Amino acid sequence: MSKANFKTLHLRGLCKRFGECTVLENAGFELHSGEVHALLGENGAGKSTLMNLLTGVYVPDQGEIVLDGQPCSIRKPADAMAHGIGMVHQHYRLVERFSVAENLVLAADRAPELQRLPVAAKALQETAEQLGLALDPYARVADLSVAERQRAEICKVLALGAQILILDEPTAVLTDTESESLLAAIQRMANAGKGVILITHKLREVVAHSDRVTILRQGRAVASNLATESLTQADIAQLMMGDVAVSQRQPSNLQTNGPDLLVATGLSASRNDGSTAISNIGIRLRRGEIVGVAGVGGHGQPQLCEALMGLLPIDSGSIQLDGFQISQCSVSQRRSYGLRYIPADRATNALALDLPVSDNLALTKVASGSKGRFWISRKGLFQDAQNTITEHRIAGASPQGLTRLLSGGNAQKLVLARELDNDCVVAITHSPTRGLDVKSCGAVHTALRELTSRGGAVLLISEDLEEIMTLSDRILVMNTGCITGELPGTASASEIGALMIGGH
Amino acid sequence: MAFQFALQRRANTSFLRSSLTFSGGLLLGLLLCVALLIQAGVPADMLFDDLVWQVFFQADGLAQTLTLSIPLILAGLSAALALRVKFWNIGIEGQLWLGAIAAMAVSIYGVGSDSYRWALMLVAAMAGGALWIAVPLWLKERFHASELVVTLLLSNVAFQLMLHLLFGAWRDPTQSFPISPAISEPERLLKLGFGNLHTGLFASIGMVFLVMWIMERSRFGFQSRILGSNRQVAEASGIAVGTTLVVMVLLSGAMAGLAGGLLVAGTEYRLTQHLGWNMTFSGIVIAFIARLRPFWVLPVAVVLAGVYNAGATLKVFYGLTEATVLLMQGIVLLSLLWCQFIAAFSIDRRQEVSV
Repeated sequence: MSKANFKTLHLRGLCKRFGECTVLENAGFELHSGEVHALLGENGAGKSTLMNLLTGVYVPDQGEIVLDGQPCSIRKPADAMAHGIGMVHQHYRLVERFSVAENLVLAADRAPELQRLPVAAKALQETAEQLGLALDPYARVADLSVAERQRAEICKVLALGAQILILDEPTAVLTDTESESLLAAIQRMANAGKGVILITHKLREVVAHSDRVTILRQGRAVASNLATESLTQADIAQLMMGDVAVSQRQPSNLQTNGPDLLVATGLSASRNDGSTAISNIGIRLRRGEIVGVAGVGGHGQPQLCEALMGLLPIDSGSIQLDGFQISQCSVSQRRSYGLRYIPADRATNALALDLPVSDNLALTKVASGSKGRFWISRKGLFQDAQNTITEHRIAGASPQGLTRLLSGGNAQKLVLARELDNDCVVAITHSPTRGLDVKSCGAVHTALRELTSRGGAVLLISEDLEEIMTLSDRILVMNTGCITGELPGTASASEIGALMIGGH
Repeated sequence: MAFQFALQRRANTSFLRSSLTFSGGLLLGLLLCVALLIQAGVPADMLFDDLVWQVFFQADGLAQTLTLSIPLILAGLSAALALRVKFWNIGIEGQLWLGAIAAMAVSIYGVGSDSYRWALMLVAAMAGGALWIAVPLWLKERFHASELVVTLLLSNVAFQLMLHLLFGAWRDPTQSFPISPAISEPERLLKLGFGNLHTGLFASIGMVFLVMWIMERSRFGFQSRILGSNRQVAEASGIAVGTTLVVMVLLSGAMAGLAGGLLVAGTEYRLTQHLGWNMTFSGIVIAFIARLRPFWVLPVAVVLAGVYNAGATLKVFYGLTEATVLLMQGIVLLSLLWCQFIAAFSIDRRQEVSV
């Protein structure tokens, strides 16, 4: 069962690799009883992996987890619960057809006393009262609102004896008033001696409601256990996104007052569930320019890409490409005018991993019919693929080889070789260097610069400020689906950071 | 210190490896069947004769095997076409019955002239099958209704429609069984003078090469490969997803419909309620063993036809139950699939890193 009085939890030097990809390197922090510890980082920075190590979903390759001076081995989720570590996931682990109390009974295989329904209900009731939350233990989960389900999940995990509670972006799904009451409850948990790890993207919450903060970037802890008292939101934003000295930047050599290649005005679009994803976005992209769109993740970036490409229908607004009105065009028509797309998630949106390299290199050309209107010569595809592989130095690739076997950097080279072809006019790129090593990043940057120097333009949407600042000639800042400001490419990280958190 | 075993997909499966595993799987399956049959009381010295010689190397048996393979080849193509675009066609029988009904209708209403009506019957059969699969395709794309359920249930509808015709308007008044009148002599496909084998075999083989061309050489085939592997990528690269899906799925229905048409025009000469049973699962199994490659559908369908043929003989001569025959067929198929799995994956042993 859980330890009654946890004092400190240390995570030390944790490393995790998947194949060749290092997702966590020497990361760690400490958590005291009575503390709210915020864990920050962009998508892919390693937050989820770190929490998965703590909750026994993964086993670390190196490093140790020390609870009250005792190294503890957490090899499966049940071990974590036995040490009093509980997690409230973004997707709640509740059976909808059961009542809240029944869900607790279901989860209580290590706590026999909670297996009686009245006891479980009473435990939930008491936990909820301590936290100042309203909860009906006998309500059916299916009838509860999102906020109520979250309360149910939190009370369930605490009733099971959790001393350390991990909350994964708990306010992302809540309204402002709901968030306030949840954050107050989190404070009460800490006052009662629990340790709370709060994962969030909202910097305001970090400053106002956490005691210390740990920031991950690219698998490393760039700041551990910083006291939040002395920090501003802008400080935190800067730590999260990194900074680049002006000398390292590579602004375009061309005059950037060329003709407009891509003009989007008043662009609005909704997600599948009807909520607004982007609203009234205006973008102007001139010949020879790289325009960065900076912003914290989850603020409509993928939807902006999809709306520009024609993958997401727009509610209003217009898009012009090289003088052509394309807002009503299909993806293939937009591509025929020279629009190209390098999405953030190669594996799901850019590459068919189970097919050979030659297929993936040829697919846009086959779609447009330029490899043959009716018949495709397989030999021709292999030959073209071989040429491209040689020309772009895609290591480990053969025309017949499976695309799945390529490393991240080489898979991205494949996407670049296909998308940044000679007919490319404007490339929409979303985090094109995510998950790549330094050398591959350099190759991506060179390819993008090469496109602008031959008269194209690049829209660089990224959650990595370092990437934006290194490449962009101008920087737009995106926040909750809107463009909140424009800065020159020489803007400092704190200037950009100030715009990113504004309006929150 | 713990060891973990991991399945690792091989980067490339060579032609030699595929051929060897196919033969190995067949051999393993047959050996297991031999054990099963000896256990069931079949004399051991007759087994090779019944299982292999009679169905593949003896004229009558081979003719019967090839005749049985005609609809199986088309069912295999039908499943392969649909699975290529990740469309689960569990209603091959339904499309086959609709094809048979359409072919029979052309004969009953005497469309066109005698000299080419057989061709009209086959075209109508393909159209019937395509029409029957168009419904689940539309429901899937429009309302996200699972094609798995809709195709399966529409088979029942097709069967009831067939019974309705056989017990009603199309019933042959001179027969006591609910069957339609026979089609006329010129409407029947020519016999090849080899058992009951008819020219439908050429139609089936022709379709293998046509589908092979479409799937492996045409733009549609390429696009369907991308679509089947990752629909989001297909959409983002500007592939005409809708058109590709419609072409491949309707072709799938047309192949199943043609199988029904060939059974009416080449084998049965009339519509009966015993037409084309088990074609759905046979078709899917054939497509899987052939790994969706149209050329391999041909040998796999012939082998499966041989197994069915041998099963029928064994039932008659040794009084084996239907269950034993089904078990036998299942063993052969599972051995083939299992060996293929081994060909495609290797088993790696890794030592877990100590923490």
